[in-house]
Amino acid sequence: MNSAENDLYQEVVLEHKRAPRNFGHLPAPTHQAHGTNPSCGDRIAVELWLEEGRVQDIRFTGQGCAICMASTSMMTEAVKGRDLAAAQALQQHFRAVLTGEEAPEDAPLGKLVSLAGVRQYPSRIKCALLGWHALMHAIAENSPQEARP
Amino acid sequence: MGKPHPLLHTGGLPVQALRAQFPVLAQRIHGQPLAYLDNAATTHMPLAVQEALRRFEQHDRANIHRGVHTLSQRATDAFEDARATLKRFIGAGAEHELVFTSGTTEALNLVAHGLWAAGPGQAWLRPGDRIIVSGLEHHANLVPWQQAARMSGAELVILKPDAEGCLHAKDLAPLLTPRTRVLALTACANATGERPPYEALLAMARRAGALTVLDAAQSVGHAMLGLSALTCDFMAFSGHKMYGPMGTGALAGKREALQLLHPLRLGGDMVEWVSYTCAGYAPLPARLEGGTPNVAGAVGLAAAARFIDGVGRAAIDQHVQALRAQAVAGLSALDGITVLAPHAAQASLVSFVARDVHPHDIGTLLDERGIAVRTGHHCAQPLLEHLGLGPTTRASFALYNSHEEVERLIDGVARSLELMR
Repeated sequence: MNSAENDLYQEVVLEHKRAPRNFGHLPAPTHQAHGTNPSCGDRIAVELWLEEGRVQDIRFTGQGCAICMASTSMMTEAVKGRDLAAAQALQQHFRAVLTGEEAPEDAPLGKLVSLAGVRQYPSRIKCALLGWHALMHAIAENSPQEARP
Repeated sequence: MGKPHPLLHTGGLPVQALRAQFPVLAQRIHGQPLAYLDNAATTHMPLAVQEALRRFEQHDRANIHRGVHTLSQRATDAFEDARATLKRFIGAGAEHELVFTSGTTEALNLVAHGLWAAGPGQAWLRPGDRIIVSGLEHHANLVPWQQAARMSGAELVILKPDAEGCLHAKDLAPLLTPRTRVLALTACANATGERPPYEALLAMARRAGALTVLDAAQSVGHAMLGLSALTCDFMAFSGHKMYGPMGTGALAGKREALQLLHPLRLGGDMVEWVSYTCAGYAPLPARLEGGTPNVAGAVGLAAAARFIDGVGRAAIDQHVQALRAQAVAGLSALDGITVLAPHAAQASLVSFVARDVHPHDIGTLLDERGIAVRTGHHCAQPLLEHLGLGPTTRASFALYNSHEEVERLIDGVARSLELMR
């Protein structure tokens, strides 16, 4: 079996791709934003219910490749119920692992470590980060009225 | 690799001998022989082209025009010989001229910009004029026209394809008003392989008084009518999609049409005289070739044209069309694969979408098997949206590709679907 099948498309990644968690809309999001991948036009939208500095709930919609969908799905699981500082710290660790600045075994990634193989595929890093960009933009929004178009 | 496909007609092309002319192909990617199927993006250069580049750089390199020394004269001769070779290659007549550019994108920008940049009251495009662009276009034949419309006050109208991605003359007729000044159209859609009836569409637009612009980037290396036989004011093409150097290309067209263009680049080599306050522009083609051109690139591009004619465009087309037919048949047989423009039998590319499997994943998995394809929207985002599709996977063929490589493509796609679903 070749290495992409082993390293990139691990079973947990494919499982999240096939059945993404927290997919859909929140009834009343307080924050939302989207990200677009210019090479394929893929778009991921993230909706948040932020209260008391904490991600009370999160949903996402959109279409993307397996890496993008699995990364966003695992991201929603990882940040749900966490405070904003923890979500931002996780994003920084995840990004640092993908860009080779941090070793996967040193980063507190949990299940997301299954995507560490993406660092060997530079053209796919933007796929793995698309949902995270949307999350960071959504957190940076002050109110839903100012959500980015 | 399976039995030869029933649609397989190998024609007369000596593929193995031709492959020897392309040393880049003889390598392994992830341990597998490279199957380079991204030719609609960039073809590779045969030794004859590389040798022409090397010979120019090692023997004749100098700046062209106005130099009185021997190398400058040789370089000037090489540049002008390249121009003459390419004019013959595209079937240009005495009424035509050819301007070297960095590629199709620059050539199309030269036209669109040239029709508004002379400014209000001077430019060819006036407020209230109409520009028609087909809905099949690469972004390079759309975005410059969006800007031209904005800058001139003209309106931009899209000639939309039908649900299968086909353009029809009956849809163009009602769009042609007395104020229609431009029709810009591709000879072959890079995202789907669709070949619009461009001869008829260009002729209709001309009868309505419009300038006609043809993007021939995907077609120039294949059999097509000569420029003299087309109702075409401007034709744009690139070198790197016809076995020539990257960063080369041309805008060919009717002299009287080229004369209308305000130059994109002002400066040296495009002027007759200059004072501190004004300048007189040179006649064509220098007028549109400001600055030192890519002379070696032009020489290499001419060598690519000679290479294509040496192999024979009919033989090349027969070969790549057979590869495309094989790919369409094999991919269509896979569960949940939809081939775009399956009817486009003249195309040398196949573009497809797979249910529940993203092109980027297919592309990565094919690369692991040494197979290079392109994935994404192919710089034709509005077209794919119009067709209700997202990104696609595109395999595109050149004279050096083999039926075995197409079999590997089909097997690789089948394995990707199996893994990802």
